This record gives sequence, structure tokens and C-alpha cells, in this order.
Amino acid sequence: MELEFTDEQLELRDNVRDVLEGQCPRSLVRAVYEHEADADARVQALWSQITELYWQGVAVPEELGGLGLTYVELAIVAEELGRATAPGPFLATVTQFAPLVLAVGDTDAQQRFLAPVAAGERTGTVAFAEGDRWELGAVRTTATRTGDGWVLSGAKTTVLDGTTADDIAVIARGEDGVGVFVVPSTAVKATARDVIDPTFIVTDLTLDGVVVPDDAVLAAPGTPGVEEQIERAWQEATVAIALSTIGACRKIFEDTLQYAKDRVQYDKPIGSFQAIKHRLANMYLSLERATALSYYAALTIAEDDPRRAEAAALAKAAAGDCQRLLATDGLQLHGGIGYTWEHDLHFWLKRAKTGEYLLGTATTQRAHLAQLLGLTPEVAA
Amino acid sequence: MKLSFSPEVEAFREEFLAWLADNRPSQEEMDADPALSSAHSPAWAREWTKRMFDAGWLVPGWPPERGGRDAGAVETLVYMEELTKAGVPRTTNPQGLGIIAPSILDYGTPEQIEQYAMPVLRGERTACLGMSEPGAGSDLAALSTRAVRDGDRYVVNGQKVWTSGANYAEFCFLFCRTDPDAPKHKGISILLVDMDTPGITVRPLPEIVDPEHPDLNEVFFDDVIVPAENLVGVENNGWRMANGSLAHERSMVWLDSVMRLEYQVEHLVEETPALIAGLPPMEQGVALDQVMSVYTDVMAARCLGYRGFAKYVKGAAAPEQALMKAFASETHQRMGLVASEIQGGHGIDMLGGIGIEADTSWLEVYFHSFASTISAGSSEIQRNIISEKVLGLPRS
Repeated sequence: MELEFTDEQLELRDNVRDVLEGQCPRSLVRAVYEHEADADARVQALWSQITELYWQGVAVPEELGGLGLTYVELAIVAEELGRATAPGPFLATVTQFAPLVLAVGDTDAQQRFLAPVAAGERTGTVAFAEGDRWELGAVRTTATRTGDGWVLSGAKTTVLDGTTADDIAVIARGEDGVGVFVVPSTAVKATARDVIDPTFIVTDLTLDGVVVPDDAVLAAPGTPGVEEQIERAWQEATVAIALSTIGACRKIFEDTLQYAKDRVQYDKPIGSFQAIKHRLANMYLSLERATALSYYAALTIAEDDPRRAEAAALAKAAAGDCQRLLATDGLQLHGGIGYTWEHDLHFWLKRAKTGEYLLGTATTQRAHLAQLLGLTPEVAA
Repeated sequence: MKLSFSPEVEAFREEFLAWLADNRPSQEEMDADPALSSAHSPAWAREWTKRMFDAGWLVPGWPPERGGRDAGAVETLVYMEELTKAGVPRTTNPQGLGIIAPSILDYGTPEQIEQYAMPVLRGERTACLGMSEPGAGSDLAALSTRAVRDGDRYVVNGQKVWTSGANYAEFCFLFCRTDPDAPKHKGISILLVDMDTPGITVRPLPEIVDPEHPDLNEVFFDDVIVPAENLVGVENNGWRMANGSLAHERSMVWLDSVMRLEYQVEHLVEETPALIAGLPPMEQGVALDQVMSVYTDVMAARCLGYRGFAKYVKGAAAPEQALMKAFASETHQRMGLVASEIQGGHGIDMLGGIGIEADTSWLEVYFHSFASTISAGSSEIQRNIISEKVLGLPRS
């Protein structure tokens, strides 16, 4: 196992980081946080930059207009976007909608829904969770066959970009099992929630008899293999959120480390005190633990290795452990200054935290992992 | 990034596996006469070491003139993976093979190489490493065992402690102070001392687990006469030699502990349904969460190890390597705790408890893990190293 980036991958990371330092400065994040008048326009301009650079098409096959690179490259971009607390449609469109269309759609559907994403012309998202459970067993939204299509009814929770994405891939249940349907976001009732990190648009959806024509059905209920395909796509989404969280944690770590070197008390940098040093060593360890597992997971996806389901759960669980420690100790070690609104630290704290609650917390991932390993609690009588 | 190694590396693996299958000691042979300390070589181990050395498999990364086959770092890693998987120890005298023999080869005289290094490689002699002292543990350079030059000999007085295998070793690679007036790192020399020299007393220190088979010892030196020709390298240069050779092997010392963790956690996952069967559902959920947390740590240790190693092979900085000792040993500790705690009342049973070996309980695994979190740079020292050498924080 060669778990280190190639030179090309390192170059991609550096390029993405450079671009984001210029195009997604802290002032942009602050504009979003403080609802400045030009915030939406600046977020849109950032997305335009990203699409010009083709990051949205990194892992899309070349025949659909993408760059045809692997999931590892996509993971690198996701980590850097987290590091920059970048707002915008990348996570929902590129790490959720695109993999799902690719996994379950036929060639026509891929051309129709994915090619415009690769071209940077359309955005998308996936409506999966119900009751905040991102699992197929929790899907209660119904898909009912009508004469020339399907009708969807139900409620989805915690959908990224539900108010802004062009297309929403809805996972719904018909008589024969789950299926996947693409609906325009204008067809659903979406409510954006007021969440702690405004760089994420988090919505709840109501589908009240939404009509889906046959040509917008990615997979009809009961299509053989559809459940596994959805799960595989969702592994990609899960590892991307893990790496976005890790990116934010890496920034917290770097800033906290610098602060410990700069801040002088008792005539010494506070980073010379062992109480501080050992906490920083623990933070670093937790960060590298999560990073190593997440790129391992990215690699299992890139190589389509059978361990990918387990690896994705491990990655998100470790990212969860990481943000717990990094947010707590990062804020604690910054002292009073990190507690102020004017300091930028809280942008990264909130990005790291938000990533934990999306797509299942570390505890949920460990429970999933136990299932994958064949361990489930016996239900006592 | 790749999940597998190149075809050339895999061919190397096959070549070694074929040799191993034909030449390895049998499980029965090993079980009948187990190694009793880290410098005890039963007859089968001596023969095995010699067989490996003669075939160029004991130190594959070394050049042929030293008994190796010029294997690259990745090949050496694969070789270690397969030995561990096969459950065959590469040596029963790890300090002798890993540190002492190579240091003598690098710094010793031709006579020292012939009398001390080669016999270790051929499985004929075992050696111990005389480093820690009562007053010099984490602060090793504070050691005070004195060697005074007297014509063509040294007279050694002092005490070592925590000396692994001293109760069986045939010679000691002894760190001692030859210049008490120099700054503490600069007055240290290394002597090769035959353990049957008059004036040496070895007192084993039974451990909190398995006290019948002590590995750690106190070693007392009372006017011990050592020929001056047994000085390794240059006088007062011993500290530097301590950090000398074997970069390849240092880059993969994590492998053994990671593979042991994997072996143990597999066992734990297998046993978990039986261990938690009697618990109410709520406690089963908690137990599973803890077991999965340990499982995550083990998988992370594996990924961190391979990631750091890949960076090392590329010639890049590999900060992961500084993390491995503390992380792997602390994971081992958590595993012992979690696995014993989920057993409830039976977690305290000595024998027949479910553990890595038939006669080792998980609670004993927990206690045993302290050998790794304390020795060879405690977890606290590791964190100092990480924060200073990797993170660039100022010294306290």
C-alpha cells in the first residue's frame, strides 16, 4: 500500500490552495457570516472561478466532459475547500449529486444530468436523509407510478443547497424498493434552516405530489443493484465531508500552533509549556489519524476496492474524533481572543463542527462499521 | 497513491515466501522451546537465524558483503510483513540484530566485527543493550556508570537497570562515562563487555505480568575489567553512535506493532459477539462503540505507518513516523482495557480468559502494554519530540 500523494497530486493540492487563498479570502467568509450585501455575488464569483478551473469535473469521466481523474484528486479538492471554509455548491453538486448520477443513471441520464455539471453549467444536490438518518432503511418518501411518470411525496431533512441547486436527486421508496428521481428545485418546497455555519446552505424539503417524468428517473424502484449503487455513491459523499472537516481542522491546527509560538506569557512563548505542547501533539496526532484514514478511504474508492464501505465509515468516524479534539483544544488554546466574533477562528470551528453533524456523526459511523463487520446488538426480549 | 505494491515488489514477496515455506522452523518446534527473554536463543532460534543469514534473508536490505541482498526499503517492508504474518520471529534477540550488530559493523574494528557482530548475525551469540540507569531514564545522557582507562584496559563501576535480556545475553553493548568533566553528551563511550566477566551481577526484575519469566534486569558492575580493544569507535563519541545506522529498519519499526495490533483486534472483533452476548442492549451498544473505536485506532495506525513509510521511501519528510510509537502503544493499551471491561466480572480472570494467547487475558494485555508506553522513550517524551522536532515548538 503506497499511501502517499504522487507529485502530480501534491501539485494539484498546492494549486487549489493557492487559488483559494486568492479567491476565497477570509473577507469573503466574513461577508457571508455578516450577510453583507455583496456576499451572494462574491460566492457566485468564487463558483465561477472554480468552474473555470474545472474542479467540478475532476473525477467525472472524460466522455461526459470531465477531467477523468480519480476520487483521490476529488478528495484533495474537498479538503482544500474545507480548509478555506469555502461557501458554494461544490460539496452538494460534485461530491453528492455527480457520484449518484454516475452510479445509478444510464448513459442518457448521465449525459443529461451530469454533463452540464461537468461543464459548470448546472448544480445539483441529493435529498436522502429523513429524520436526519442518511440510510436507505429510513427512506419513507413515496414514489407512486402514474400513467407517464412517477409522483413523489414525503419530507427530507438536512439537504445541502436544497434552495439553490438546479437539480435535486431524490431517493424515494416505491412498492418494489427505493429509486432515484431528479426533480428541479423549483418543484419542491424547500426551507433553509438557520444553522451555525452560514457557509453551508442546509434545508428541509417537502415533496407534495411532485411529478417526475420518466426521462428524469435515474433508477426506478426495484431496479436491480440500485441500493448498492446508492450506497457506493454515498461513500463518496461521506469521505468528501470527512475531508472537508479535516481541512477545517488542519487550519485550526496550523493557526493554534502559530498562536502558541507567538503568544508570550511569563516571558516565554506559551508553546514552550509542556501542558500546551502535549495538547498540540495530541491535536496533530488526531489530525494525522483522520487524514491517513480518509485518504485510505479515498484510495479504496478510486481503486474500487471491496473495503471501500468500511473505509468510508472509518474516515468519517476519525474525522469526527478529530473535529471534537481540534475544535475544543483549538479554541481553548487561543484563549480569549479566539472567543471573539472579530477573530476568524470561529469560521473554522463551525465548519469543522458542521461537518460532523452532516451524513452521520462519528457514533453513527461506528455503529455502521459494527454492522459492516457483522456485529450488531442482540435485541433482548 | 496505490493500494498495492509494484509487480517487482510482489515478485520479491513470492520469492521470500517460497524460501520461508521450505526453511521456517515449525510451530511445534517453537512452542516446545520458547524464547524466555529478549536475549535468549533456544536451539531452533540459533539455527533459524543462521539459516536466514546464510541465505541472505536475515538482513535483506544490507549489501551482499554483509550478508544481505541489497533489497530496497519497500522490499524489506514486504519481507517483514511476511515474517510477521507467518508468526516466525526474525530473531529472538531484537536488540542484538537491530541495534548492536549493525552498530559494531559501522563503528567497530575488524576483530570486534569477527568476535561480536558476526556471531550475533549467525545466531551464535546474543547481546543486551546497557543504557538506562537508576538516575538516567528519559534523560539517558545523564548516565553515570564509569569506565576509567588504566593502561590497556578499562575499569567499569556502576549500575544499569531495565536491561532487557541481560539475564541471558552473552555480551553487553555498554554505554558508560569516560569523561566526567565533558558536557554530558560528550563524555560517553561504548564498550563491548562479556557478561561472564568477574564483577558483573545480574538481578532479574520480575514484571507485573508473567513474573516467572523476567526480561528486565538490574546489572551491577563492580571493578569490571574490560580490555581497551573492546572500545567501539572513538572514545567519548558514544552518544553519536547511538543514533547511527539502520535508517531503513528505523523507518519500519512500526510495522511489528501495527501487525500485532491488527492480529489482536481481529481476534477481539471475532470474540465480541460472545463477550457481549449477556449484556442488555444498551450496554451492548456502548461496548460495540468502544470496540469500533479501538478498531478505528488500529486501522489508523496501519494507514499512518504506511503513509509515513511511503513518504520516507520518496525521500520526503515523514512526520507520521514520529507519531507511531506513542499511537501504537496507546492503542494497544486501550484495546486491553476495552476488551477486558466488556467482559464484566470475567474480565479479571487470569486463565482461560479470552485473549491473544491461550494463557493471556485482555487485562494482562493492558498491563503488558505499559512496557511499550514507558520504555524506549515514554509517551510523554514522544510528545515532547513531536512538539519540538515536528511542530517546531520551543524547548521547555
